[in-house]
Amino acid sequence: MDMTEEQRRLQQSAIAFARKMLAYDVIAADAAETFNVEAWRACADFGVLGMPIPQEYGGLGLGLASLLAVMEGLGYGTRDQGLLFSLNAHLWTNSIPILVYGSDAQKAAYLPGLCDGTRIGANAATEYGAGSDIFSMRTRAVRDGDAYVLNGTKMFVTNATVADLVVAYATIDPALGAMGITAFIIERGTPGMTVGGKLHKMGLRTSPMAELIFEDCRVPLANRLGREGRGVDVFECSMEWERGCILASCLGVMRRQLEECIRHARERKQFGLPIGKNQSVANRIVDMKVRLETCRSLVFRIGELKDRKEPAMLEAAMAKLHVSQCFIQSSLDAIQTFGGYGYMTEQQVERDLRDAVGSGIYSGTSDIQRTLIAKALGL
Amino acid sequence: MDSVKETIRHFILTTYLPGESPANLRDDTPLRKGGILDSLATLGLVNFVEKEFGIELDAYETAVDNFDRIEDIAALVERKRGR
Repeated sequence: MDMTEEQRRLQQSAIAFARKMLAYDVIAADAAETFNVEAWRACADFGVLGMPIPQEYGGLGLGLASLLAVMEGLGYGTRDQGLLFSLNAHLWTNSIPILVYGSDAQKAAYLPGLCDGTRIGANAATEYGAGSDIFSMRTRAVRDGDAYVLNGTKMFVTNATVADLVVAYATIDPALGAMGITAFIIERGTPGMTVGGKLHKMGLRTSPMAELIFEDCRVPLANRLGREGRGVDVFECSMEWERGCILASCLGVMRRQLEECIRHARERKQFGLPIGKNQSVANRIVDMKVRLETCRSLVFRIGELKDRKEPAMLEAAMAKLHVSQCFIQSSLDAIQTFGGYGYMTEQQVERDLRDAVGSGIYSGTSDIQRTLIAKALGL
Repeated sequence: MDSVKETIRHFILTTYLPGESPANLRDDTPLRKGGILDSLATLGLVNFVEKEFGIELDAYETAVDNFDRIEDIAALVERKRGR
């Protein structure tokens, strides 16, 4: 998959930005589970948050393929994958659904702040009893005059503790099943919406995550996102973008892992020879290279399709499945290549694996991606 | 009404049941209760019906008791079109 000259330039610019502005002590931040607000603002100033948003709303109006090139560059240039995970959640599950399904008033009210970094977005869909079976959600939205009243609890909300704006999903009637689900835009400070206890994760620890609790939360009619009962359309739009794009930064990590492993395999000597001269070590690194190239093709294919305004659900599911599996395996291979040092926190190799494991779970588990692909194949 | 039914049947067959014989998709075949269409497929059918026939369906009109068999869906379309 060849990038255009412009995309290459953008990627190089992203790498330079990340190396300069996102090069803080991630070991400490990971241990303390600290979200770096300054880094977020720097990303906003760089323009990442506005890249897919039209200029009339404060964005840069770039195509998706260009944004993927930038995300890959950021993944390569920074070691803070948690920050990038938060960026992805903000873009694909908050900004994009507002762009695609928002009214003119909603777009005007919210997109500029989402682009310039003054508003951080979050998405509240998953519940304790509704994970993979997301459409069985029980959070209820009852129409009351010119508002909806929401009651329920959402789990695993990325950016919950720092979000200014939440795209939340609730059902107007559980008996309607998926056709009752409705999306809402809810601002921080709305009475009845509270952030629950912070959730502690295996990886991506610098990306904050918590529960969101709705107790008689009154949401104006004007803040319903899309049509009543068509929340599934909004959610699936989010997922199509997120599944295809959230792993673009992982391509950058995989490229960095590969380069570091090659360098280490050439420099580290055992029994008088570079360890890369052993086939078992070389073959492992070869597999990392092959994985990276196949992953890039799948991810950038999403960009091509979305830039042509074509659907990409099947391609997004395939990319999500394959890239997450490759990312986890390459992270394991990197640790193995570095041996004991790879297991140590100081080397920053082990954290990539902890961050990578989540990729097989978020945005729909690998099991779900296989189910989606099977259905698309008519099975 | 018959042309509405056939339009709906054709869409379901080509989109969700490739290779299936049209004779097996009767007017009274339960699409959702029978497990032929899942949530996403149902939404796809709702979106198709709205766009194809120029109507807008509210959430309760797409409840499973109203929107499960081709004959019921076609009748709903005709009612919405004022026929």
